[in-house]
Amino acid sequence: MSLIGFAQVLYDSEIGTAIRESLFVFPFIEGTHLLTLSISVGLIALVDLRLVGLFFRDTPASQLIRQLRPWLLGGFAVQFVTGLLLFWSLATKVIELPVFWLKLAVILLAGINLLWFELKLARNIGEWDSQQIPPKAVRFAGWASLGFWIVVVISGRLIPYLQY
Amino acid sequence: MSTQELFNSIQHSTVSASLTHLNHLFGAVAQLTHITGLVLLLTSIVLVNLRLLGVGLTGYSVIDLAKSTRRFIWIGLALLAISGLFIFLPAATIYYINPFFWIKVELLIAAVIVQLTLFRWVTTKDHPSPVLAKSTAVLSLVLWFGVGASGRIIGYLN
Repeated sequence: MSLIGFAQVLYDSEIGTAIRESLFVFPFIEGTHLLTLSISVGLIALVDLRLVGLFFRDTPASQLIRQLRPWLLGGFAVQFVTGLLLFWSLATKVIELPVFWLKLAVILLAGINLLWFELKLARNIGEWDSQQIPPKAVRFAGWASLGFWIVVVISGRLIPYLQY
Repeated sequence: MSTQELFNSIQHSTVSASLTHLNHLFGAVAQLTHITGLVLLLTSIVLVNLRLLGVGLTGYSVIDLAKSTRRFIWIGLALLAISGLFIFLPAATIYYINPFFWIKVELLIAAVIVQLTLFRWVTTKDHPSPVLAKSTAVLSLVLWFGVGASGRIIGYLN
């Protein structure tokens, strides 16, 4: 099945249609997607600010990450689920927008950056944990993450803007 | 002059007229600035209130966490206010007749009052009573997310 075919199936489905034509459900899902930014992107920005040595400098990075992890996971889970439902209801419309694909691509990049951080840099977190200014590679991961998520938010906002 | 006349004259003022004729991109920038302020404010509010509820960044004291995030709260509010003005001015009369605009204004006033009184008081005490801390946290979260939610609903009713 082609991408357009798949998008059409989602768009025409009962769930997709119900969400799209609803009075309250779509606004609720979209509103939650927006406000949850404070728990997902907001919290990851905080961790990134620690990694680049700009904020919470006297706290070990591992402690910050450890204590925020459940909230980050929960926040991004909600972000993902609401995003999925939004896509489901508008599939054929959004796949036509380059800015939608930009958003997905940058989310993927952010994911790769996170994997690289977890697998390579966090391995020896003990070495730089208490440093106010972490090593260059760590700072790079932090700045990259900040940059990626800013682009994600901007492109996300542009989707409804360019849709009509 | 009635409120309606006031909003009418705001929308048709010279400042608003020049804003209306600006590129649509400008509107997008205003909205993105509004989102930036929103994240700065709400993330800080979430962090401190979670701490008051006894979860989240428990490695910090409430006092320290509140102090560290204070600048983000006020920078966020400043960005929200400025961008909010740019969003509001060219379309004042449309907002006037939108019930959720007024709900948002009322919630915002309540949220700011609580922020400057109860919230500030509880977050500067060494050992606030758990009941006081938790109810302040819940109130603060409900009010600020209420502002955000009603703000979003404005757009749906316009």
